[in-house]
Amino acid sequence: MTTSTPPQSVSLAEQIKSLVHQREGRLTRELLLQPGRFGLGKVPAGAAPDATTTAVCGYCATGCGLNLHLQQGVATNLTPSTDYPVNLGMACPKGWEALSALDSPDRATTPLLRDASGQLRPVDWEHALEAFCSQFKAIQAEHGPQSVAFLSTGQIPTEELVMLGSLAKFGMGVIHGDGNTRQCMATAATAYKQSFGFDAPPQTYADFEESDVIFLIGANLCVGHPIMWERVLRNRRGGKVVVVDPRRTETAQAAWKHLAIRPKSDLAFLYGLAHVLIREGWVDREFIDAHTTGFDDFARHVEPFTPEFAAAAAGLDELQLLETAELIHDHERTSFWWTMGVNQSYEGVRTAQAIINLALMTRNIGRPGTGANSITGQCNAMGSRLFSNTTNLLGGRRFEDEGDRRDVADALGIPVERIPSHPSWAYDQIVEGIRTGEIRGLWVIATNPAHTWINQGDTRELLDKLDFLVVQDMYHNTDTARVADLVLPAAGWGEKEGTFINTERRLGLIKKVRRAPGQALADFTIFKLIAAAWGCDELFARWNCPEDVFQSIRDLSRGRPCDIWAITDYRTLDAAGSAQWPCTSEEQLHEPERRLFADGRFYHDDQRAKFLFDPPTPMPEPPDADYPLLLLTGRGAVSQWHTQTRTQKSAVLRKLYPQSIYVEINPADADVASVRTGDRITIESRRGAVTATAIVTAVVQPGQVFIPMHYEATNRLTLPHFDPHSRQPSYKDCAVRLRTSRSRLPK
Amino acid sequence: MSTVVANTSDAPPLDSLPSARPMTLADLVAGALAEQQQLSAVERFSQWHEHHDASPLQSRHYRSLMPANPPGAGEQYAFDVDLDACSGCKSCVVACHALNGLDKQESWRDVGLLMPADPAAPAVLQYVTTACHHCLEPACASGCPVNAYEKDPVTGIVRHLDDQCFGCTYCTMACPYEAPKYHAGKGIVRKCDMCTHRLADGEAPACVQSCPNEAIRITVVKTEEVRRQCGEGSLAPGAVTSAFTLPTTRFTSAKRDVSKFRPADEGHARPQHAHGALVVMLVLTQAAVGALAAVLAWAWLGGGWSTASGAQFLTGMATLAAMAAVVGVAAATLHLGRPQYAFRALLGVTHSWLSREIVAFGAFMPLAVAIAAAAWAMPYWPVAERLIPPALAAAVGSGLVAIWCSVKIYQFTRRPFWVGANTAAKFFLTAGVLGASVACAGAAWAGEPPSPVRAFAFATFFLTLAKVAFEVSQLRAIALTEQTSLASSAKLLRNALRLTTSWRLALGTMGGIVAPAISLLRASDTTTAWLALLACGLCLAGELLERTLFFQAVVPLKMPGGLPA
Repeated sequence: MTTSTPPQSVSLAEQIKSLVHQREGRLTRELLLQPGRFGLGKVPAGAAPDATTTAVCGYCATGCGLNLHLQQGVATNLTPSTDYPVNLGMACPKGWEALSALDSPDRATTPLLRDASGQLRPVDWEHALEAFCSQFKAIQAEHGPQSVAFLSTGQIPTEELVMLGSLAKFGMGVIHGDGNTRQCMATAATAYKQSFGFDAPPQTYADFEESDVIFLIGANLCVGHPIMWERVLRNRRGGKVVVVDPRRTETAQAAWKHLAIRPKSDLAFLYGLAHVLIREGWVDREFIDAHTTGFDDFARHVEPFTPEFAAAAAGLDELQLLETAELIHDHERTSFWWTMGVNQSYEGVRTAQAIINLALMTRNIGRPGTGANSITGQCNAMGSRLFSNTTNLLGGRRFEDEGDRRDVADALGIPVERIPSHPSWAYDQIVEGIRTGEIRGLWVIATNPAHTWINQGDTRELLDKLDFLVVQDMYHNTDTARVADLVLPAAGWGEKEGTFINTERRLGLIKKVRRAPGQALADFTIFKLIAAAWGCDELFARWNCPEDVFQSIRDLSRGRPCDIWAITDYRTLDAAGSAQWPCTSEEQLHEPERRLFADGRFYHDDQRAKFLFDPPTPMPEPPDADYPLLLLTGRGAVSQWHTQTRTQKSAVLRKLYPQSIYVEINPADADVASVRTGDRITIESRRGAVTATAIVTAVVQPGQVFIPMHYEATNRLTLPHFDPHSRQPSYKDCAVRLRTSRSRLPK
Repeated sequence: MSTVVANTSDAPPLDSLPSARPMTLADLVAGALAEQQQLSAVERFSQWHEHHDASPLQSRHYRSLMPANPPGAGEQYAFDVDLDACSGCKSCVVACHALNGLDKQESWRDVGLLMPADPAAPAVLQYVTTACHHCLEPACASGCPVNAYEKDPVTGIVRHLDDQCFGCTYCTMACPYEAPKYHAGKGIVRKCDMCTHRLADGEAPACVQSCPNEAIRITVVKTEEVRRQCGEGSLAPGAVTSAFTLPTTRFTSAKRDVSKFRPADEGHARPQHAHGALVVMLVLTQAAVGALAAVLAWAWLGGGWSTASGAQFLTGMATLAAMAAVVGVAAATLHLGRPQYAFRALLGVTHSWLSREIVAFGAFMPLAVAIAAAAWAMPYWPVAERLIPPALAAAVGSGLVAIWCSVKIYQFTRRPFWVGANTAAKFFLTAGVLGASVACAGAAWAGEPPSPVRAFAFATFFLTLAKVAFEVSQLRAIALTEQTSLASSAKLLRNALRLTTSWRLALGTMGGIVAPAISLLRASDTTTAWLALLACGLCLAGELLERTLFFQAVVPLKMPGGLPA
């Protein structure tokens, strides 16, 4: 509304008229819109900006650009960035509501220390730091430096990850540290490392638009990555979407073809596709010979995976498999995309590599609209993969490699002997270490293992077993913070600076546009204070702000596949908007979209990609007479993020998904159990039970049930088993049974 | 090249303090806390993002989703939704909230879900994004007692005048699509205005701007065409017939026949707001009309106030009726979000049953008070006695008209639990039950002869029997069919509202059936008086609960909702 009524000189008659029928006034003005300037269009007058700046979103690895509306430096509203090469002016509900997660009464505003009576009580930072150091040092003194471990995250900027990993491993003498990224994309990282020689997702999102055929394998973009789905819908080549997923998800329903394979039959199915492509000669022998190794062994390996065999294993018709192979052959550009359906599997690495193998042998790599492309989960999972200094040494290096250790010591200016030569345990091994008593102290940063770790009942018992548990988080009441001995209040996205790396290797900035509540501090600052309190701050004297760390990241990236040397500083990155690695020239800095491997050169020493494979193995806990159903878990609604510590803080997001846990059950199974939609039923596994609302739907196949992972109770049911290469937990296959109130069993 | 930008904050940076003494941990913490409160983005980065360009950058994404020209004569703007494109992300809901500066969970757009009617059919989750449909004959505007709705003659947008609204929430019941939303904090309703002011300047509404899948567009529709198309069918499965309000939104799907789908929340209704003030208002005003009608009937059948007991009966009944009327009307005012503007309620009298109800009760209440005053004045001012009969007739007449208006208010909403006899029977029988019950007690306490007391007890007995039987028949609707709205109401009454339902039936039975029966059979004069008073209280409590259930067990007309978890 652009008009406003001046209050003066209103006649009495008009005043009376207005009292009876009032067209304008205070309430109308509350919803006044005004031109937002800065290219924004109209915005609510109360939140109209006096300046704007951009930041990359802090939820998922899509990495959308957000335009923050500032009033005196404080963000009051946001809109998706119109010209950001990721999201093209759009955002999902989480992005739109990114600021409201900061305004919650659940924010941790002061350090909390568990006192003698067992209560968490506010303490000042000096006491908190003192407790942190004295407790962990005492544990290390008694049980060795490796007895304290840390669990990092994909939710904080790369600079903070570098500082955390360096402080823990080089400063505090910690050996074992891993991240929640283990639960989400360790499989993709390992698969790429083994196949390509470096953890390098090759794609750019433009590939969605450039493809003739888009394979989405274990990926529900409509729910998990809605902005990537936006890019799929912008495909103008008539791109055919083929979804491979046991569930008939929103994405599967919208696809050109849905292949509803049996859970964990993906490896056999993909080998079957390879078998047909090889048998028919639909492979690019020239490319294979020039740029890969191991193809002949692979060809022999897939010989038994005849269409009959593979289709039967996947629960498909033979024809469906043959047609799918033909589809790849008939089109110039096929891109393969996968996410948690593949990654969260006990044979996920080989499955991801089966996808990579298909792309390699058909030369669907390095060209527009192609690629074996992993879709990542968290906003900075990719930063974590390269720079968290947990199971890899900084920059995708190896702790065991003396040369790598020396590189890092030189880049950071620290003594090389501060760098441990032992590789770290993975997440599951750290958890097991608590059981065996080898891990006594644990420091958890921006993640929530009491909700997310597989077989939750056991995990919680183990967390209780720790001598000292520190949780550093934005909120004081996450499931894990509630059982901590010490809670350190952290600033969140929007309250600090740094960079994230998205799924397509794109670096973007986050900025400080909100004041953190109370005594909450940026994670970087907390790490600096801990270093000072621990007495190892001289190691990190060169890092006084996140941008100092960024300079070290540049140094650490030099000459590596992830080289970002041309991004000289934050201002350069900000001016460019964003930049994908590698970024070694001014030209690359200003390219909006870029993919890898156009030259067919991979990162192994011989510059060739490897064909890697193994025989499929049966799932360890298939449904049986006692537990006749298979439990699948996954994303529920777009407006839910992980353990909901943030999304549940937004009143408008809370409206958009079911507030209580629910379970999807096929009509055939529902009939047998006399279950109807809306009934409260109990789902039991050998490890635990949850009560949930039944949703009867053919989204799930007969014999399967699905529960979203966002609800706290879900992981009571899941079976702890892991991919042997990536150590990623397999969340999507365990046996369960239903119990209704009508069929209540005696205790 | 390594240009570390100077720390712009006033606080000392972590590494260097000018002082000579060594930094303590406390110094570091103090510095860190101060530094954390410094905001750096504007100084460091904003200069790269200054677009003083007046035209919205986002227009490149929505230009193709907007009509080429504004509506001409016989045309208006409308939402056009491509159901095939909607993937259910709900960005439109949140963008509506953010771009319109709405409060907390407030948004004027919702996304519902349709699933195949046959659960064994191939799974389809069909999301339906919905806001105000900017109807040709908006029920919100017809129902609004204060003329707070306007249909723009050029754009066809149904706009709500926030400053005119007094927060009666009737439009939230009248609209069959739940488009108007009540904002309790502000005491008014707010609703989608299709981002009128954006459209006026060629900008797209928030929902259109924000849909990643380009599922929502603005089109110009011919009103005659809308009229024709609304003749049959509804906007979505489970939604009311479009013939009711002539909604202009068009939902299209090239892939699916959504008529074979059902709303995901069908059969999973939740208890609605109890509207306590309206419960009190309805029951007390009906009781007042009933009480005066009982007096009128008593007079017509030969009762008179020339006797001491007759005068006492009249005075008591008139006083109770006046009090009930005053409290009832006052409660109605309290129900308003902004009661200071209650006087505006007369504006809608040509179209709003709520206005008409207020006018009718506006006539009834003073008459009831006047009758009470006259009854008290009779000993001192004999003329009063002659004024009472016509006043009584006028009061009962206006009261019955007022109750009829109350009935129409709820029938207008077309909610199955409220249409037809469902509301009329309850409201008029409440007047009857409470009128007879109060009269029974009044006559007994005034010392009237046994015959009128027995007559009123008899009336109470039969009227309550009829009413309770009617209510019980609604409980049995669950057996009719599985999925109708009435069955959902019955399910609510029997499950979620079970406790209230049980108490209501128990109180009604005790006060209106058992107690009158006892007094008819064997009670002495004194016990009759006490029993009648007790019965009266039980009946009142029972009716209040019945009216609470009336509001709580109704299933609103609406667009499809979400999963029932």
